[in-house]
Amino acid sequence: MSVKRDLKTKLLTINMGPQHPATHGVLRLVLELDGETVVNCKPYVGYLHRGTEKLGENRTYPMALPLTDRLDYVSSMANNIGFCVAVERLLGIEVPERAKYIRTIMAELTRIANHIVWIATHALDIGAMTVFLYSMRDREWILELYEMACGARLTVTYPRIGGVRADVDQEFLDHCYKFTEEFPKRVEQYETLIDQNRIWLQRTKGIGVLTAEEAINLGLTGPTLRGSGVPYDVRKFAPYDAYDKVEFEVPVGKVGDVYDRYRCRMEEFRQSNSIIRQCLEKMPSGYVLAADAPGYDMAAGPRKKPAQPSAPKAEGAADTPQPPANQPAEQGPAFEEIYVATEVPKGELGFYFVSDGTGKPYRMRIRAPSFVHASALPKMCEGSLVADVIANIGTIDIVLGECDR
Amino acid sequence: MTLKELIKKVFFIEILKGMALTFKMMCTRAVTIQYPKQRRRIYAGFRGRHAFVRDPKTQKEKCIACMRCANICPSQCIYIAKKKRPEDGKLYLAQYDIEALRCIYCGYCVEVCPVCALVLTEEYEYSAYTREELYFTKEKLLENWDEFTAKLKEDTYFNKFWRPDGIDHSKLPKGKREQGPVPTRPLPISEPESSPEKTEKKETD
Repeated sequence: MSVKRDLKTKLLTINMGPQHPATHGVLRLVLELDGETVVNCKPYVGYLHRGTEKLGENRTYPMALPLTDRLDYVSSMANNIGFCVAVERLLGIEVPERAKYIRTIMAELTRIANHIVWIATHALDIGAMTVFLYSMRDREWILELYEMACGARLTVTYPRIGGVRADVDQEFLDHCYKFTEEFPKRVEQYETLIDQNRIWLQRTKGIGVLTAEEAINLGLTGPTLRGSGVPYDVRKFAPYDAYDKVEFEVPVGKVGDVYDRYRCRMEEFRQSNSIIRQCLEKMPSGYVLAADAPGYDMAAGPRKKPAQPSAPKAEGAADTPQPPANQPAEQGPAFEEIYVATEVPKGELGFYFVSDGTGKPYRMRIRAPSFVHASALPKMCEGSLVADVIANIGTIDIVLGECDR
Repeated sequence: MTLKELIKKVFFIEILKGMALTFKMMCTRAVTIQYPKQRRRIYAGFRGRHAFVRDPKTQKEKCIACMRCANICPSQCIYIAKKKRPEDGKLYLAQYDIEALRCIYCGYCVEVCPVCALVLTEEYEYSAYTREELYFTKEKLLENWDEFTAKLKEDTYFNKFWRPDGIDHSKLPKGKREQGPVPTRPLPISEPESSPEKTEKKETD
């Protein structure tokens, strides 16, 4: 007994990352450990900072678009769409119907591709190797669909301001339809492997619990928030593109642990699949680029006045003011600002633009979901075991390219 | 705990199910592609190595030095110099360089070119030991085109982004509207002069 009392223990501070395979990038966590228990957890971000926001301010809107590919490199298409939707609202451009549907298909394919990467890495971190192999096989299918549409697999730059760059052909639509038929079976395969697996359950149930209140206070969005039972989804609350024309449910969890967030994302696979199916069935014909869309060679100088100032407002843009016609130069630049959020696979990706009426944004701010989610790590990790830190990093689905911007 | 749950727990039912799936997968066809031997299909609009289209009539580049590609390039990796020809005072393209190491392969340059002079080809194996080899000058860009067309099975080539589908073509510049597929085989007259070039390049690889 006396020996035990004399044993002096002190907290051990260790660095997890920035070069660590399970941190999904260059995330550095400084952990203070009491034995196996995490007492203190401090995330450090910024190792992948490339100054995307500042770069965007030195480029015209079309030129800033490829930068968004490199934010969250797993779901580049969704980032592009978020950027385009924001600029379109700023410039008051109405996108043709066909382009809206194509974008919705692309956004949902991206959601599936992103969640595939998520389930692959998350399961691999926790110890289930086979899921990785199966899910990567299916991701290849989606990347091939991207390639059919635009010739690139990862940094796509497929949407453009006012629509998409090129129409999709019949081959794409056929393959996409085939994908929607096959994909639910693939989700079942992943579930067969891990859904009831006792090791998986022990590693995920009751780990990293966030109550709804905590999750909202931390500013979480996307499946990370929905796992705590808050049915917040930008696609439902402020629909953009064709989301108001398709039917889908927003899956929510109950407890708010790693397992619930896993269930949410698995359900999103199916919902996304059904959205793609609906879009394919409803796909209208017509042009894929708005007539008043700015060209690639958009001037960096003051923007021209819109051709018809009394153009009908977009349905989704009801809450945002129509940009007024430019003021005469003597009065100085007319500043407009706009914040538009879109639901990317990781959560709410917001673009905030301050425009001085020129072809370049005066200020471009990106609200990156991964950055916000990283701030939830101390809350989730403190008091848990070291091994659960891995599960917690996986469950918030962090991509450091987006987090550090 | 019900009896059913107990049985599930004792007999590792869920693990056996997973194992059964794995076993089933063992008997299916492999999805892996053995890369150097097998190759993936390349889809239209693939963005690979840069090239200048060799005009079948003049055997030269079609670029008119309008500077659109250099202006739009998000990574600013295109350098163009134009000079006045002393004989007739017309502008001509003196220098056209693309720094491939800085290129982000967005394909904007291909899409804005009013005469469809530039193309991102379907070549993707062009790694080099030095930076200079990936600094494409005007001549190198034309060479790239020759190398690309030599491998192409089709007799004509048309890049998807020269005139993308689904957008209003009537607003495009005339050169883009009227651009047809480019013949990739050298015309019968110029056949002997372009073939030594190709063989020469292959040796350096």
